[in-house]
Amino acid sequence: MPPLPAKVADRAPGNHYPRRGNKGDEYGTPSSGHGPHRVSRAMALPNLIEHDRALASQVLAGDELAFRELYRRHTPRLYQLVLRLLGGRDADAEDAVQETWLKATERLDRFRWECAFGTWLSAIALNIAREQMRRRIRRPEADWPEDLDPPAAAPFDVVDSMDLEHAVADLPDGYRAVLVLHDVEGYTHEEIGLALGIAEGTSKSQLFWARQALRAALGGRQKGTSA
Amino acid sequence: MTDPNDLTPAERRAFEALPREAKPPTGLEDRTVALLQARGVLAVPLRPLAMPTRRWHPAWLVGALAASLALFASGIAVGQFLGARSATIAAAVGLGSSLAERTQQVRRTGSEYVAALSALLQETDSSDAASRQRATEAALGALGAAAQEVSRLAPSDPLAAAVLRGLTERRRASQPPPPTRTVVWY
Repeated sequence: MPPLPAKVADRAPGNHYPRRGNKGDEYGTPSSGHGPHRVSRAMALPNLIEHDRALASQVLAGDELAFRELYRRHTPRLYQLVLRLLGGRDADAEDAVQETWLKATERLDRFRWECAFGTWLSAIALNIAREQMRRRIRRPEADWPEDLDPPAAAPFDVVDSMDLEHAVADLPDGYRAVLVLHDVEGYTHEEIGLALGIAEGTSKSQLFWARQALRAALGGRQKGTSA
Repeated sequence: MTDPNDLTPAERRAFEALPREAKPPTGLEDRTVALLQARGVLAVPLRPLAMPTRRWHPAWLVGALAASLALFASGIAVGQFLGARSATIAAAVGLGSSLAERTQQVRRTGSEYVAALSALLQETDSSDAASRQRATEAALGALGAAAQEVSRLAPSDPLAAAVLRGLTERRRASQPPPPTRTVVWY
């Protein structure tokens, strides 16, 4: 049987997950987690985007208060995204968020507002998180080779959010990034390919193995709990 | 046909239930702002050079109020004390003293009057008619007042009467004659 992802007890120290709940986003709409929700948000609430734009122009003039407001509007979602992408390592996530804001303010004058500010910010954060994952001591990307059959993992049924978070965090970096972006954030494979600099086919393949690994981890956990 | 790798509805719900936001670490905002200020992206707020705003502590205010009340009360007490003392002096000089004491007081002030008159005459410039006139008037005024008191005390005293008569004549002589009225008849 191929090796399974690391168990919860093996998680690196310093990993952090927020409590459950708080599922809204910065636009105040319920998060679907799937589909092109970023576009619909942007179209549904143009006033908020205009407000972002007004704040951004004030930031370009050096206004600290405007920056703080912009930061408070977008950072909770940004922080959650990078925290999940980086496997719950809060120190890494903190660095990534800070770096994201530094880069965003550097490039703010070139942002053309063709997409929502939050989307643009997420794209910057994804690049930074990807760089962090590359710099890290690499964990084996493929926990089981592709020429072997995937483990007999049944879809998980009822699962606790914390267990799911831990199982996602325990996935190898490449699997986790694709799974988070596709299944949690609702990106398409094309968008993932662009964001992570990989081919669309690679994204699909990674997602396949990520789901298998996740089901195996959660299945084992559920069995352990019931036993 | 559905792909067996697709998410089941339960799995989809589990992913949807994951939180989309997390509270950022405390202090991250301030650190980011400080970095942006250091890089010149954000303006560094100017600290006012004025004196720092002072918050008055309630105990300090109560103390200040008590001190001002004490100062006010002590002012009243001092005023009452001084008033009482001047009344005591006046009583001692006027009503409380005997005739012998008042006679003695007159002699003493008379001597002081003579000494003052002597000093006045010495300091008066004899070449200056105006100052000589002023000194003479002062001396005669005091002399007249003294003669007036003596004549009241002893109405038949010839010396006092002579002095008063002489002073009256002198005053009358020094007054300018009344202006003559011109009547125009039509």
